[in-house]
Amino acid sequence: MRTVSVLLGSLFSFLSLQALVFNAGFYSAVLKPDSSTGTVEAFLRNEKRRKVENRNQVLAVGDSRNGFFPRYANELRPEIGYTFATISVAGTTPRCWYYMLREVDPTTRRYAAIIIPVEDYDDGEVWEDYANREADLHFVVSLLRLGDLLGFSRSFHDASRRWEVFRGALFKGLVYKQDFQDFLLHPIARVEFVNLSRTGSSDWFYDYVGPTRNMKGLGVDWSTGRITVPPGTTPEQKLEYERHFLPPLPPQRGRRSAYLRSWFEKIYERYRGSGTRLVFIRLPRGPIVRPDQPPFNPHSSVRELAMRPGVILSPEHCFDSLERPELFMDQVHLNGPGEAEYSRMLGREVRRLLGPPR
Amino acid sequence: MLFHTVKFFLFLAVVLTLFYGAPLSWRRVILLMASYYFYMSWNPVFILLLLTLTAVDYVAGIWIETNKKRGFLIVSLVANLGFLGFFKYYNFLSDNLAHLLRFPPHAFGLSIILPLGISFHTFQSMSYVMDVYRGEQKAIRNPIDYALFISFFPQLVAGPIVRARGFFGDLYHWKPPGTDEQLRGVLLVVLGLAKKVALADQFARISDSYFQNLAAHPGVAAAWSGAGAFALQIFFDFSGYTDMAIGMALLLGFHFPVNFRRPYLASSVTDFWRRWHMSLSRWLRDYLYIPLGGNRYGRLKTYRNLMLTMLLGGLWHGANWNFVIWGGFHGALLSLERIIGRDRFRGAPGALVYPFRAIFTFALVCVGWVFFRATSLADSLYVIREMFAGKAGWSGFLIPAWLLCFVGASLVIALGEEKSEWLERLAKGPGWAYAAVITVLLFSIELIGVTDKPVPFIYFQF
Repeated sequence: MRTVSVLLGSLFSFLSLQALVFNAGFYSAVLKPDSSTGTVEAFLRNEKRRKVENRNQVLAVGDSRNGFFPRYANELRPEIGYTFATISVAGTTPRCWYYMLREVDPTTRRYAAIIIPVEDYDDGEVWEDYANREADLHFVVSLLRLGDLLGFSRSFHDASRRWEVFRGALFKGLVYKQDFQDFLLHPIARVEFVNLSRTGSSDWFYDYVGPTRNMKGLGVDWSTGRITVPPGTTPEQKLEYERHFLPPLPPQRGRRSAYLRSWFEKIYERYRGSGTRLVFIRLPRGPIVRPDQPPFNPHSSVRELAMRPGVILSPEHCFDSLERPELFMDQVHLNGPGEAEYSRMLGREVRRLLGPPR
Repeated sequence: MLFHTVKFFLFLAVVLTLFYGAPLSWRRVILLMASYYFYMSWNPVFILLLLTLTAVDYVAGIWIETNKKRGFLIVSLVANLGFLGFFKYYNFLSDNLAHLLRFPPHAFGLSIILPLGISFHTFQSMSYVMDVYRGEQKAIRNPIDYALFISFFPQLVAGPIVRARGFFGDLYHWKPPGTDEQLRGVLLVVLGLAKKVALADQFARISDSYFQNLAAHPGVAAAWSGAGAFALQIFFDFSGYTDMAIGMALLLGFHFPVNFRRPYLASSVTDFWRRWHMSLSRWLRDYLYIPLGGNRYGRLKTYRNLMLTMLLGGLWHGANWNFVIWGGFHGALLSLERIIGRDRFRGAPGALVYPFRAIFTFALVCVGWVFFRATSLADSLYVIREMFAGKAGWSGFLIPAWLLCFVGASLVIALGEEKSEWLERLAKGPGWAYAAVITVLLFSIELIGVTDKPVPFIYFQF
């Protein structure tokens, strides 16, 4: 009897310490601000701290391709009437966006609309299996609750990945391990960096201006498969461009479609009936658009979702005018001027789609 | 199936459930089957070797007891040493022969896989047969009991080397572990796991990065910290494994001998060998050093016996000249300590002298570990040269400060243990203290343990 009680007590003590350190936010005091988890935490913390006076708030989610900078859209506030914010974090995926939105908007009453950018409206296949992306755990580990354990780990495909994710979500220290060991190497510098980030990151993110370098001079001869690169391009960069533009697209297997459907559906269910509208937009595709775009898919995840109330699909070609080499800094990312233009266009487009603020 | 994997813990849970759920008469069979399964999970073919040696020594034990003839002992020893020699030393000997005869390096070599734990279970078998021959142990009549003695999974692959008397004492007078033993067993398993994944594997990263690329880390600081990292790695690795083995055995109602007693607190090399891999040291003493004459035939023969024992002890670790040199180095140091004066190295030194002697002993042991860890004699000599004549300065020091803090904490714990063995008594103490220790251990496994890819135990290769 003593054995059982002492061992259960030990287990309880260990789990309590876990909860205290990782779930009650103690670890955030030392978490590296520019790590995957740290960046997500910083964006969410800044957004939660942002004072909101009314519900005319529009929040954007997305990854690095969503070069939306609220500052440019908010400069148009007198004209648009909405206030914009973003929790777009490079490397995040729709699965992460679901947990990030849940964290930042627990009541689903904070925003008039959520902007969700997608690469296309046809669920075009990509080579990477997004459903099996281990990095997602690192982005959202701090947001996962005990109740998410099964659902989150089962959203991955293969058994070994599911087990890894389950283990990491349960024992979060396994995910924070590298960060913690880095902290131990330079603890004072880390704490200073964290404090600096806590006080300054909101302004850093808001005032950030993207790079001005552009892709002028980029050209692809689709018939010969030859690529002309801008002056000053390194061989590594050229290889990246070739890898992006030249290989054939992966065959349509429905894998990505199933993934997007699953997570957009979850986001939709969360906001259903809340008065928050979901606005899907198609991102500017690149400095040059490949001729072999995914085939039209009338049953794609976003097209089917758009038939439901509260979901808006912006016109597919809304941002085509930005698909110019001078507005991109590489094969997929807008540069500073491109981001500024995109942000203003998106602000106006959202105003048009939502109508006047309440 | 490594001890520090989820698969192993699932296996252990199943074994404990079956063992305690089954009637008393089935339990030995359950343990035997579990042990064979454990062994076969590595390479099923080698179960034949284990079965053969078990059969030979089982029969030899009975024949020796019945007929009192030395021949049966010789047959058994030849079988054990023959298998051990073939699997472990054939390529070493054939390569050296090829070198002597000026043939290409691996001219006579064979592609041989070293069976898991062969060095340990053959030594255990031989000790049984020799004990029976000496009349110190009754021959075991029940083949299942004997097979279990040889294959008992907690100590099958890396010891501790258990003596027949202790094992069969536990087996024939088996009692379920009491509360304190159960708690001590769990504590040892968790402690061993923490030593292995949180400390040994962290130090492994440092020592591997040093020894795998010596040229990248010149200087005295790098050499000493690289060797020191390996010293700590091998201690935490092997003693971690042993703690887990002892803990698991306790949970099953068996009592294994202590294998490590804070060896890096030793005040002399003689003292070190009383604390390091104690089950092997006892084996070498009882079955090699004493039969060679021990210290009974004068000083010179004592030194010879010491050297021979340590050389063979070195060779036992691996078929490589580096291990022989490592053994010889320790044999020389042990002999030297005897020459200087045995009494000086007996008992605890005074409080003022002790720290200096302990640090000096640790430094000597680190020098020895260089031969143990380096992949060639040339590399070993390079490291030794760097240790004593390399570029001075701290810039190349490889062990990060936070890991040194853990070493410091371990040192404090070890010193406390030395005085009062409080860790051992923790199981009898208040529940909150036990829970606190388990929590800290589990938390350290979680946060600093190397868990992405299990690193095999060093002694599994022997």
